[in-house]
Amino acid sequence: MLSTAGGVQLGIATTSAVSGRGFTPEELAEHAVNEVISIGNNSHPVIQAQAEAFREEIRAVMINYLRQAVASNNTTLINRFRDAGHPELVKLLEV
Amino acid sequence: MALSITTAMPTSFKVELMKGLHNFTGASNRFKMALFKATASGSGTFGAATTNYSQMGSDELPTATGYTQQGKFLTSVTPVADGTTALTTFSALTWTSSSFTTSGALIYDTGDSNSACAVLSFGGDQTVSSGDFQIQFPTANASSAIIRIA
Repeated sequence: MLSTAGGVQLGIATTSAVSGRGFTPEELAEHAVNEVISIGNNSHPVIQAQAEAFREEIRAVMINYLRQAVASNNTTLINRFRDAGHPELVKLLEV
Repeated sequence: MALSITTAMPTSFKVELMKGLHNFTGASNRFKMALFKATASGSGTFGAATTNYSQMGSDELPTATGYTQQGKFLTSVTPVADGTTALTTFSALTWTSSSFTTSGALIYDTGDSNSACAVLSFGGDQTVSSGDFQIQFPTANASSAIIRIA
């Protein structure tokens, strides 16, 4: 029997919004792992478990590095504030 | 009349693909995403029959509070095969320090006279207030990628 199933198809994009602040490292890591790792509902349970474990490892690594990126960027901003003669603004970045 | 947006791949885009008018190779700064207004703030109908960015007209968000008309460039990922399916995707796109309400988006090709590539409905109004608004694309595989040829 011949089959000709196929075609040009469109996936589903999702949106996220946060108000009064920017995204946290945890939120961005969640978006990233969703983009990188997709676990099919029809996969074998063992494969699903392995994929979930891998996903959690990736998420933890990403959160760690994203937090470091935020901290490093704050260091850059602190130096810019001081260089510009506004050391009092440094307190705004200390959390 | 309210804005009507249906997630669809424009028919014109399918024809243009067969004519070889769209090149998704590498981060080639040619595809853009523009945002529609809130449902109640617009009046047009967008979906498979949408052919060009110019049709958004007054239904596009105005330039203000974090959004600039014509939208932002997408970073495209060079098409690959997953099994027997060809696919491409884009990197997530973020509007920072923004305040607006949007109900959908249009992906269009600035390298082909702003022809429409995809109409995306957000399933309702999405609001951001003094914050960040991000579009995430699905996993780039044969069953989920944003643009696929199976």
